[in-house]
Amino acid sequence: MSQSIERRRFLRATAGGAVAVAAGSAFLVGCSDDGGAADPAAAPAGPKRRGGTLRAAFVGGGAAETLDHFRGPTPMDFVRARAWHGALGNLDPAAPDGVRYGVLEGIDVSDDLGTYTLRVRPGVRFTDGSPVTARDVLYSLAGPAKSSPLPVYKMPAANFDFDRARAEGDLTVVLPTRKPIADGRLILCQGTFLVVKDGTTEYSTRTPTCGPFKLTRFDPGQGAAFVRNDDYYGLALGGGPYLDGLELRSIPAGDARAGALTGGQVDFAHDLPPVTARTLEADGRVVLTPTASPYLVGLSFRMNMAVKPFDDPRVREAFKLAVDREGMVKTVLFGRGTVGNDLPSIGFADYARDIPQRAYDPDRARQLLREAGAEGMEVTLTTGPETPGMVEAATLYVEDLKKVGVRAALRELPAGQLFADFPAYTRLPLAASFHVPVPALSSYQVTTAGGAPGALGWNRPDVDALVGQARGERNPLRAQEAGAAAQLAMWRDGNTVLPVFKPYMNAASRNVAGVADDLFEQFPGFAQASLQ
Amino acid sequence: MTMLRYVIRRLVLAAVVLVLLSVAVFAATEVLPGDAGDVVAGVDASPEERARVRAELGLDRPAVMRYLDWASGAVRGDLGTGFVGRRAVADVVADRLPNSLLLAALALVVAVPIAVALGLAAGMRAGRPLDRWISGVTQAMVGIPEFVTAGLLLAVFAVWWPVLPQVSLVPLGASPLHAPEILVLPVLTLSVVGLAAATRLIRASAADISATPYVESARLNGVYGLRLAVRHVLPGAWGPAVQALALTTAGLVGGTVVVENVFGYPGIGRELQLAVAGRDIPMVQGIALSLCAVTLVTLLIGDVIARLIDPRGAA
Repeated sequence: MSQSIERRRFLRATAGGAVAVAAGSAFLVGCSDDGGAADPAAAPAGPKRRGGTLRAAFVGGGAAETLDHFRGPTPMDFVRARAWHGALGNLDPAAPDGVRYGVLEGIDVSDDLGTYTLRVRPGVRFTDGSPVTARDVLYSLAGPAKSSPLPVYKMPAANFDFDRARAEGDLTVVLPTRKPIADGRLILCQGTFLVVKDGTTEYSTRTPTCGPFKLTRFDPGQGAAFVRNDDYYGLALGGGPYLDGLELRSIPAGDARAGALTGGQVDFAHDLPPVTARTLEADGRVVLTPTASPYLVGLSFRMNMAVKPFDDPRVREAFKLAVDREGMVKTVLFGRGTVGNDLPSIGFADYARDIPQRAYDPDRARQLLREAGAEGMEVTLTTGPETPGMVEAATLYVEDLKKVGVRAALRELPAGQLFADFPAYTRLPLAASFHVPVPALSSYQVTTAGGAPGALGWNRPDVDALVGQARGERNPLRAQEAGAAAQLAMWRDGNTVLPVFKPYMNAASRNVAGVADDLFEQFPGFAQASLQ
Repeated sequence: MTMLRYVIRRLVLAAVVLVLLSVAVFAATEVLPGDAGDVVAGVDASPEERARVRAELGLDRPAVMRYLDWASGAVRGDLGTGFVGRRAVADVVADRLPNSLLLAALALVVAVPIAVALGLAAGMRAGRPLDRWISGVTQAMVGIPEFVTAGLLLAVFAVWWPVLPQVSLVPLGASPLHAPEILVLPVLTLSVVGLAAATRLIRASAADISATPYVESARLNGVYGLRLAVRHVLPGAWGPAVQALALTTAGLVGGTVVVENVFGYPGIGRELQLAVAGRDIPMVQGIALSLCAVTLVTLLIGDVIARLIDPRGAA
């Protein structure tokens, strides 16, 4: 996969957004979560049909699956929550503000970049008939997120001062920033922040929600069933959901997900292993829809800088030089991926593309370990099958580490277990991870504010300041410079080995349309999907 | 001894065995590496944190006291709460065990008639070519692990000739019987194993009966073939065969652990595997104890039926 081609595609998409703004006619579609962008690659032509129940298969998280999305770390938990709850908004490079609003109808930013005013869309209701108010939005951003172990829910608090936030009337939330932020809309509307009713602490099929679907059944480790929410605000705006029902099924094995798809048991299969995807290419019953840049998933390994000898930058550098990235792309991803440079967010506009590619240099790695007195060190790499390729990449990395004299061992946890106890995960000396596709600055803040690399020993106020500077800069060039400087520091001193990026290898029956319209391929969404 | 006294005596014995098995299950999970405190506190928790969690869970108390607490809860139907997902173990057992029993029952329905026919045919011709052929094939079948059989069936019927689903996806909230096609491959896999074992047991019993003067006499009187099998051999072979089938059934319930994982079937065996992988100790204990109870009940039923068929075993 050519990085330059992917970047060109992304830039074309961004340029397309500018055209949409100029055209004006696209404005209303771009502003609403419910208009649905075109998805020419996957959608059969013609208007979307209403009706039918779409069945989709995901890796799942086994018995640890939870309805509480503030505690559910797997893609399945996230997709289920997005079907159930309304989102503040989604990232949309083609929309005027860079976001497509959902439960919010807009965000106003003060001239000094110190205050964000969130306008709640009038008429949005929970399934118990009560209106969605500013208090619900504020609670959803600041309430359960505080106790959530998941980093993503801590990022808003790193940028906005919730202690000073207030609801003004029923439809306005005033959010003061901790320091000036120019791109705060991208933080609040990244598709992750879902609206629950003020005071909600327990989640069940009786919980009032305002999403496109109503939950009718949830069996941890088996799946969840939904019916369309006929009071969903998006329907009144002329959008989805088009489906009568939705079933999300947990099928941990990738080849079994593919088998369920080809056997007609499901209509959509998420995140297939590369080798399985290859066997589907010639199958006329299904369409393979791999995500494209920048919606690529980074497979990574994180060193805990709080644990010796990873506090020594020479050891961290050695671990980065030890990995054979090209070999990993060929062996693990069967060529369906791209080499990483130890930084997430490849393909996004704020990714520091000018930083030189780190080479595979086992000799230098051995020398650095010798200099650090870490020759022959013992370490266990903990991983799990959270996404296809993760265990295989870790297996290969352990072999690479052995080649430079590290006595490395692999510990594989069952699906859904690696992140289930997140505090325990952050204490591991060397742990596998994967990076969902989000812009670079957000990715940095998700991890630092949320305690992932922070708890693994990353403590660099100077880099935090650079990221803050980039976020507060109105001038795009200066924002780019500050962001690139922050990423250079991460690349040089950071604790992340990110050797490869892979697409989500999704596949669907030929009659499925509109899955990518929901969240621009970060994760599949079904609010705009249809069965043609 | 009357049948009632026999059943009561067997029930008491089964209860004693279940208590002994519960001790074995508890002890087995005690000697696993790490303990529940490690699981709850997290893999790399500090010693202080681990000690605090152990105290909260009562793991700092003597093992005998903890066993008595667990066992008394089990008697009341409270098998505790799993660590992963905080699910009540009894609820999981109640939800998943019927699915596994359904698989085992269907496998018996498929396997028993064939096993009886093959076993009688082989046993009544002991030492002859048909017997050697049936015995050879069933011996080979017994030696094939379930996952190999499952893989072969999947390759043929789900991939090469895709007429059956590869995954046993039970409709959410419904019985597996709502989608009978998902049961075919798991049942066939279990049937192959059960069929082979049952055939060999029935064959042995039929061979013994065929050699008795009673059957020889029938033969001399011109009774052959199906009539000889049904009227003279089967009644005598039936008692031992039922006990053998009870053993086979208990084996089938155990076999579901493998089969359910291969096909992703939501039964108790799959839950057991997930619980072991996740070191969910209360779940492992509860499921293992439930499987022990099912096995004991199955064997008891087999013995009672055998005694009803042939009261001579009363001695």
